[in-house]
Amino acid sequence: LSLPTPPARLPYVPHVPPMALLGKVTATTFALERPRCVFDGHADASDAVWLAVAFANGEHSLLRQGTWGPSPQPLSCHLCRAASATFRNPRSRADVPPYKQLPTSRSYMTLETAAAEYSCSAPSPPVLRVGSDTACRDQGRQDPCNGPLPSPGPYRVKFLLMGCRGPKAETRWSEPILLRRAVSPGTIDPVPAHRGSDVVVITSILASLGAVLATAVLGALGAKVWGSLCHHDLGTDAFTRRSYRTHHIPPALPQPLPPGCRCSPPGLCRSV
Amino acid sequence: MAKSDDCVHILQGLLVFGNVVIGLCGIALTAECIYFVSNPHGLYPVLKASENDIYAAAWIGIFVGLALFALSILGIIGVIKASRTLLLVYIILMLITFAFEMASCITAATHRDSLTPSAFLKEMLERYQKSEPANNSDNEFTKTWDELMLQNHCCGVLGPSDWQEYTSAFRDTHNDADYPWPRKCCVLDAQGLPVSLDGCKLGVPGYYNSNGCYDAISGPVNTHAWGVAWFGFAILCWTFCVLLGTMFYWSGIEY
Repeated sequence: LSLPTPPARLPYVPHVPPMALLGKVTATTFALERPRCVFDGHADASDAVWLAVAFANGEHSLLRQGTWGPSPQPLSCHLCRAASATFRNPRSRADVPPYKQLPTSRSYMTLETAAAEYSCSAPSPPVLRVGSDTACRDQGRQDPCNGPLPSPGPYRVKFLLMGCRGPKAETRWSEPILLRRAVSPGTIDPVPAHRGSDVVVITSILASLGAVLATAVLGALGAKVWGSLCHHDLGTDAFTRRSYRTHHIPPALPQPLPPGCRCSPPGLCRSV
Repeated sequence: MAKSDDCVHILQGLLVFGNVVIGLCGIALTAECIYFVSNPHGLYPVLKASENDIYAAAWIGIFVGLALFALSILGIIGVIKASRTLLLVYIILMLITFAFEMASCITAATHRDSLTPSAFLKEMLERYQKSEPANNSDNEFTKTWDELMLQNHCCGVLGPSDWQEYTSAFRDTHNDADYPWPRKCCVLDAQGLPVSLDGCKLGVPGYYNSNGCYDAISGPVNTHAWGVAWFGFAILCWTFCVLLGTMFYWSGIEY
């Protein structure tokens, strides 16, 4: 019994599509650029391409310990806690880790697609969406399930070309993909940062106008009361109305004013 | 004598003219406030939700406008007849109306200030598509937002990413994978179905509405606030001058 040949390592690195798509990374899904022409030359008609998804946490300490070579690799396996470093390619389709085991085995494989769909000549949408199938999660089917991811990750992915006798080729692991984390709306502060100038202008001007009016009314009333006290010897009925129209009445002798009282406002006080 | 007679006539003429303008402005204010209160843009449930009631200022404006009209007629009669009593009543009632209109202007300006995008965002996240509406107003709120997003081709307050950045009542009932944002944010065809559901979920430009609805809300709200606050302010400035002139005239009328 010969050992299976190790899968060919393709230089392609899976990545999130660079174009501006608002939903390319959400809280439970993410999108990947579809690999075109990557598996040509390695794939037969019956082969399938799988996507392996694994948690990427626990890698930071490894990368800080120094790297050599063109890309950071874990130094030795007893240090690596990241699931992407401990991921082992399944030897056959029966060994493929399913979606349900993601919380325990910290990796799974999904998106089983015929290799022909990734060939150069196949017309297809430019992105793949990981996590878009909510029905298979709810129904618990055994098929490869592209269910929503349960936690924000971060995750690393790689494509694996599986033939009848096991994995034939694999791409490199992607960079860690971190999903969105939503915060509670209680953190939103609805109070405006500063009072608008509108309010200040309106309030100050109206308040001053109102104050002036109130003062004027009190002043006029007070003057009238004071004037009527000074002129009490005229003995006229307070509610008699007179108009300013002058008639030809011989001018009467002006009444002597008591000292200290002056007509106010000056100029309008005339005896007829 | 003749000169002061002329001065008096001119003053009377000015006061009558001033009161005519006040009367017309009062009617205009009433009509404008009735228009706002009648909810022409269908935004009342959204604006009412954020605890400040911007419609209080409009309601006060309706009655102040009618009062200004009635008082202007009283003022015209009082000036022409040079009656101290009528003019005293006019001045006192006008001062009361002035105070109410002042309150209305300041209220409208203050409430306009409090309608920030954050206030709308918080309200929308907490109430849109609330699964167990406590009262009917939550249903109204959801329906109003749906109408708003449909008619203005907008999504959320600042954009569809509102639904991604924050948890919400909508998120409690709709999972993130199927509904990164509400269906109403997708570009819909004539039957009301999304043109491309996958395109909408991925956020492909052209299949979803990427701008926020804040501009669509703040436009009518600003018009409303300008109409009530600043128009009222202008009326009050004019009324101030007329009142000063009337007081001057009143104090010159002899018994």
